[in-house]
Amino acid sequence: MRYFAAAAEVAGREEETFAVDSATVGALQDDLVARYGSGMTRVLRNGSFLVDGVVVRDRARPLGRQVDVLPPFAGG
Amino acid sequence: MTVALARISAEPIEADEVEHAVLTAADGALVTFRGVVRNADEGRGVTALDYSAHPDAERFLRESCARIAEETGLTVAALHRVGALRIGDVALVAAVAAPHRAEAFAACARLVDDIKATVPIWKRQHYTEGVSDWVGL
Repeated sequence: MRYFAAAAEVAGREEETFAVDSATVGALQDDLVARYGSGMTRVLRNGSFLVDGVVVRDRARPLGRQVDVLPPFAGG
Repeated sequence: MTVALARISAEPIEADEVEHAVLTAADGALVTFRGVVRNADEGRGVTALDYSAHPDAERFLRESCARIAEETGLTVAALHRVGALRIGDVALVAAVAAPHRAEAFAACARLVDDIKATVPIWKRQHYTEGVSDWVGL
């Protein structure tokens, strides 16, 4: 996992490695909220994940070996 | 339809560079958008913004430009700044050149919307009362 911006602040780190029970975006979301609480809920509410170079939000989507946690985009 | 320029920059960005990149002798219209740091957001005073980008942000910016170039058949370009910005600093420059103004205005608006929606860039906003928070959470 790599964490960016608000996600890194909530997690207190920029990366870590862990195993998830089921390798889907949804399972990872639940795991992250269990680990980091309401701050992570706030990040993920309108956030997304980068899996194999693609931005994903679908809970059923399978995970890759590396996943980035992306808070809501705020460019411009 | 071409992407003339797509770059994430830690240095101040200039509209001139983006405009020169898109403009050709066949264009009668050049529309440039500048996104500027303003001094208030949702009723609170703002003093500064810190922008940060994902390492792949430039690829997403290029893909966004390519999407709009493909969709409109026009030449487009964009620069996005990151780092510590103050009030009045330019955070984004997006430009589109076209034979006529209507299509250039429409394409530039689409480009800015697409960049905001698809490029992984974040900003932390510093408020006049001394606190700061991430925008968009």
